[in-house]
Amino acid sequence: MDTIDCRNMPCPAPVISVKKALEHSGEIRVLLDDGAPHENVTRFARNRGFTLQEEQSDNGWAVTITSGTPDNPTLPASPSGKPVFLVSSDRLGDGPEELGRLLMKNFIHTLLEAGDLPARMLFLNSGVRLTTEGSDVLEALDKLAGMGVEILSCGLCLDFFGIKDKLRAGSTTNMLAIVETILATDRIVRL
Amino acid sequence: MENRLMVQDGHLLAVFNSAHRIMKAESILKGRGLPILLIPAPRALSTDCGLALRFTDEEFDSIMEILTQENVLPAYVNRRINFEKYELIWNGENSIPLLHS
Repeated sequence: MDTIDCRNMPCPAPVISVKKALEHSGEIRVLLDDGAPHENVTRFARNRGFTLQEEQSDNGWAVTITSGTPDNPTLPASPSGKPVFLVSSDRLGDGPEELGRLLMKNFIHTLLEAGDLPARMLFLNSGVRLTTEGSDVLEALDKLAGMGVEILSCGLCLDFFGIKDKLRAGSTTNMLAIVETILATDRIVRL
Repeated sequence: MENRLMVQDGHLLAVFNSAHRIMKAESILKGRGLPILLIPAPRALSTDCGLALRFTDEEFDSIMEILTQENVLPAYVNRRINFEKYELIWNGENSIPLLHS
């Protein structure tokens, strides 16, 4: 069994390395840092039907990934046919920043009253300001999550803004998962 | 279904007659650390800008005091009794807060 060392790799390199390794081998062992790399890789593998065996140590995780159902390796990004919202800014529309922020806030609050909800909301770039401490829409995002909407924030973006430890809604994701979601979904709504 | 909404029974909603005024009020109150939230006004309330400031009875007095000092009083304040039903507890023409009458 091959062992790949993904410690100290920047996001999304661990997921990409694991994905590549799994294309050639049915069983691999991966060394990962705790936090986002561990979460992203294990979610990626589980979503693809692989079996995981995890061991935590002082310097992170050793995860053994074994192939499960190779016939159906890809998770449908939006099995329900519901749209995916790509929230790439903390503002809605072009114009004064203050107005844009107000409109985005209003949009997310109003979404709660809509009958059809998105399957996923992907927050990236300044959009991650909405899922982190100090955001005015955390209560609304919590309610949306309670109604089954998956709330995901770009880990690289959280890192860039220095707010990795301030995430208060949903979980982190990486560019590979974002790209796959976009490619597999018929209805992407970019906000 | 019902608790998914941002306004629950007992919440107070202050309605202003312009977007600029409500945004100014929001920024002043937040600056003073008051737990208010600027939200879309429920359909049952008539507003010019479609927005309302949400808070609770506990903050009513401090909020009204600050908004009076800063000269950004709302047009009126309502309390939600139940779904689609609101009672008026303060309005601009009545300078004595109805909450305590």
